Amino acid sequence: MKKNRLLTLAIVSVTASALVLGGSAAANAAPKSLKSIKIAAVVKGLDNPFFIGIKEGIEETALKYGVTVNVQAAPGLNDDIGQANKLDSLAGQKYDCYIIIPISSNNLSQAIGKITKKGKFVVNIDSPVDAASLKAAGGKITSFVGTDNKAAGKAGGVSMVKLIGSGKKIGLIAGLAGNVTSNARIDGFKAGAAGSTFVGPENADWDTTKALDKANAMLLANPDIAAFFAANDQMAQGISKAVKAAGKNIPIYGVDGIADALVEVKAGNITATISQYPYVMGQMGVQACIIAAQGGKVPKSTITPYHIINKSNIDKALTNKSSRGFFPNQLPPGNYDNPYAKKIKK
Amino acid sequence: MMADYAIECIDIVKSFGSVEALKGVSINAKAGEVTALVGDNGAGKSTLIKCISGVYLATSGEIRIGGEVVHFSSPEDARVAGIETVYQNLSLIEDLTIWQNLFLNREATIGFGPFRILNKAKMRADAETMLKNLDVHIPSIKSRTRGLSGGQRQAVAICRAVGWGSKVLIMDEPTAALGARESVKVEELIKKMKSQGLAILLISHNFDQVLRLADQIFVMRQGNVMAGMRASETSGGELVSLITGASASKKGS
Amino acid sequence: MPINQKAEASAHAVVSASNKIKAGVKEKLKDPFFWSDWLVVLALLLVIIVFGSIAPESFLTTYNLNNILVASAIPAIIVVGQTFAVATAGIDLSVSSIMTFGAVSFGLAFTRGWNLWSCALIGMLAGLLAGFLNGFIISVRKINDFIVTLGMLSIAAGIALVLSDGRPVQVISEPLANIAIGEFGVVPYLMIIAFSIVLAAHFLLFHTRFGIHLLAVGGDPDSARAMGISIVKVKIIVYSISGVLAGFAATLTISRIGAAEPAANTSILLNSVAAVVLGGVSLFGGRATIFGPFVATLLLQALSNGLTIIGVASYYQYVSVGIVVILSASLVRTSQ
Repeated sequence: MKKNRLLTLAIVSVTASALVLGGSAAANAAPKSLKSIKIAAVVKGLDNPFFIGIKEGIEETALKYGVTVNVQAAPGLNDDIGQANKLDSLAGQKYDCYIIIPISSNNLSQAIGKITKKGKFVVNIDSPVDAASLKAAGGKITSFVGTDNKAAGKAGGVSMVKLIGSGKKIGLIAGLAGNVTSNARIDGFKAGAAGSTFVGPENADWDTTKALDKANAMLLANPDIAAFFAANDQMAQGISKAVKAAGKNIPIYGVDGIADALVEVKAGNITATISQYPYVMGQMGVQACIIAAQGGKVPKSTITPYHIINKSNIDKALTNKSSRGFFPNQLPPGNYDNPYAKKIKK
Repeated sequence: MMADYAIECIDIVKSFGSVEALKGVSINAKAGEVTALVGDNGAGKSTLIKCISGVYLATSGEIRIGGEVVHFSSPEDARVAGIETVYQNLSLIEDLTIWQNLFLNREATIGFGPFRILNKAKMRADAETMLKNLDVHIPSIKSRTRGLSGGQRQAVAICRAVGWGSKVLIMDEPTAALGARESVKVEELIKKMKSQGLAILLISHNFDQVLRLADQIFVMRQGNVMAGMRASETSGGELVSLITGASASKKGS
Repeated sequence: MPINQKAEASAHAVVSASNKIKAGVKEKLKDPFFWSDWLVVLALLLVIIVFGSIAPESFLTTYNLNNILVASAIPAIIVVGQTFAVATAGIDLSVSSIMTFGAVSFGLAFTRGWNLWSCALIGMLAGLLAGFLNGFIISVRKINDFIVTLGMLSIAAGIALVLSDGRPVQVISEPLANIAIGEFGVVPYLMIIAFSIVLAAHFLLFHTRFGIHLLAVGGDPDSARAMGISIVKVKIIVYSISGVLAGFAATLTISRIGAAEPAANTSILLNSVAAVVLGGVSLFGGRATIFGPFVATLLLQALSNGLTIIGVASYYQYVSVGIVVILSASLVRTSQ
């Protein structure tokens, strides 16, 4: 397949260790027909475009393979018990495999324990379940599919240095103080842009307006800032307004690839966004479930791809529009490594 | 003899700031009698009653019960001293049953210390007796007061007031909100209580009723007692002229 | 004839007894409470029949009924406190935040190595403190309960975040987790605990002086005051109970999810208000049952469970729960 060199920084790391599935499923002679496979998914609250992207990935992939899927979301943003109740409700039914995104690292452990005891499979996507609490509850995760925020940040750093040259001053704007995702992205970026001087990181709590204020202050104190990196797209949008107000034209990078950010990249207000693919996460979750249900060897953990979307590939990203308008770039451009797809027996 | 009076008020003055609502009022009531308090709105009847029932503290003057001087700083004190008041709004809780209302805040319990449970059987039985003693007929003491007629409510409120061995019962316009038939029943109830030896202090605007029920009448006007007399010695016409001040003569009590 | 007379008398007695029973039944049928109580039971049966016939092999299993009971336990405890608050013509909007505050307090004690009993006690004391403040400000300062508990919603949630620095505290403890997992026969421990609290609350409301005073204050505060009942005392006790129960529910939540989470779970609050209304408790105060809201809690959880099982999308679940709440409330109203 032809790859566009300018946009490729797709890194998909697949841990080699594959989980050997013990028990009855592996002993079955003929693999389960796709039609007979039933999957249940319990995701986080559907009030965030990221999780809607995951849900679309799950539903459309299930449709493509002809497997049955029941996607349920937690009743509320922080309803950890409600989410556990949903998984409990589904655990008693004849599903072959469960895809889960826990609201907190602990809240689903007991429910997973029940599923494991029934000999069913659990595929954990996006946010990992805490290993200690899982062990305490006697639960087992068949496969984990998630993003590598550090690697995404690093790719952004490398790309930016290529653009502005080394040894320049770069402003950093982070999300909430102490947030794991934000830290990973910022740390990754610093590693990728090693040799540059950094201003910040300042915390703007993922918020556009706060990022605008922080960027203004940073520009006043350091007029020689040559570029900005924000830990998400909303904050990158805020920075772009501050930069414009200061009468400057310097590169700005964000992370996520939300619909608004793509429009800004197209308009030239944001230089690039390091796009992640929740849709792919959902897709791989379903594929991992199918492999497990068929008694195959499921890769233990997989990292979904990310791409740097800039002027050169924005048009393609925008045409790849989702039916619901969120995360328009639902699939990464070109090819990406999918360790699951080829293991499914049709 | 002072001890003849169940309750006696001597020179009660009550001021609200510079306004004197009661300007030295003296009344009394005997056990086994109905004493009526009549007068125009603003004459001071309600203020006097609130002084007697412990809602207000009189500025000066004396209240004697059975000849002894008492000081009330709360309605609770008055209640303990044997004075019960049935206000116009009756203070019944609509969503509670009749027996619950009869025993409100005086519930019978079994147990010790903080571990007390309601003795419902005793309260229900006592409630039946309380109603029976006054010939009050209500279908079931387990029904909520919400469903009762005005007369039945009045009867329940009166039963509650007299059910505690009280000596003086103050009634504020007991039949004002009632129809003719229910008024008759309430009047019978008042007579019944009188025959049981209670001193009843009745506030009423209905002169016919006052003349029918009362043994003694006090007329109030502008914070003063204008007259005190035996009911048998007066007439509706005289009462009206005393209330409105048409007759200047002040009868001694 | 004496025998005749006797027979007549006993016949008369029988007639009057049967009349009495008839009158009793009539009384019951006329009582709106009777209807609102049974309406929610009927609704629960309806939900069970509907889901039972759509998905008999998954809904009507002991495993699943067990799930519904587990899911109902923690909300049922919160609902008891909410019922008391609503019975005084008030409302407690701070229950979910107090629960979080209690959970975080538990977590802090746990990280300091305290034993589970002390941790649970700290959680309940935190709830008691918040509940007492609610009751004190509402009754002594005479500020609207809606405003006070709305303020406490924010304060308790904020303190929980401050104390925890926004981070969950993992509580891995086998004995604690066993409370959430364990069963006595087919009944989960959690439900046994919740139902014991429901029974105690029923006893408190209908067999103690405090219960009658609570209903009197809720039904007609002026008359209650005239009868010498202390409104301040009743309200402080009611909101303290609600707070303590929220603090206790926090411990059970930790036993279920294995962590003290710093973010408030507002679904618990919405659920508690819905269950109280569904359970036939008057929002104007003075009339309440404990079993009505309890059955309503089972109903709401059975509904959510059934909709999840038959695969109704989450979006529609919100809609259907809302419809059930409004529909039942209007049915209760009509029957009154």
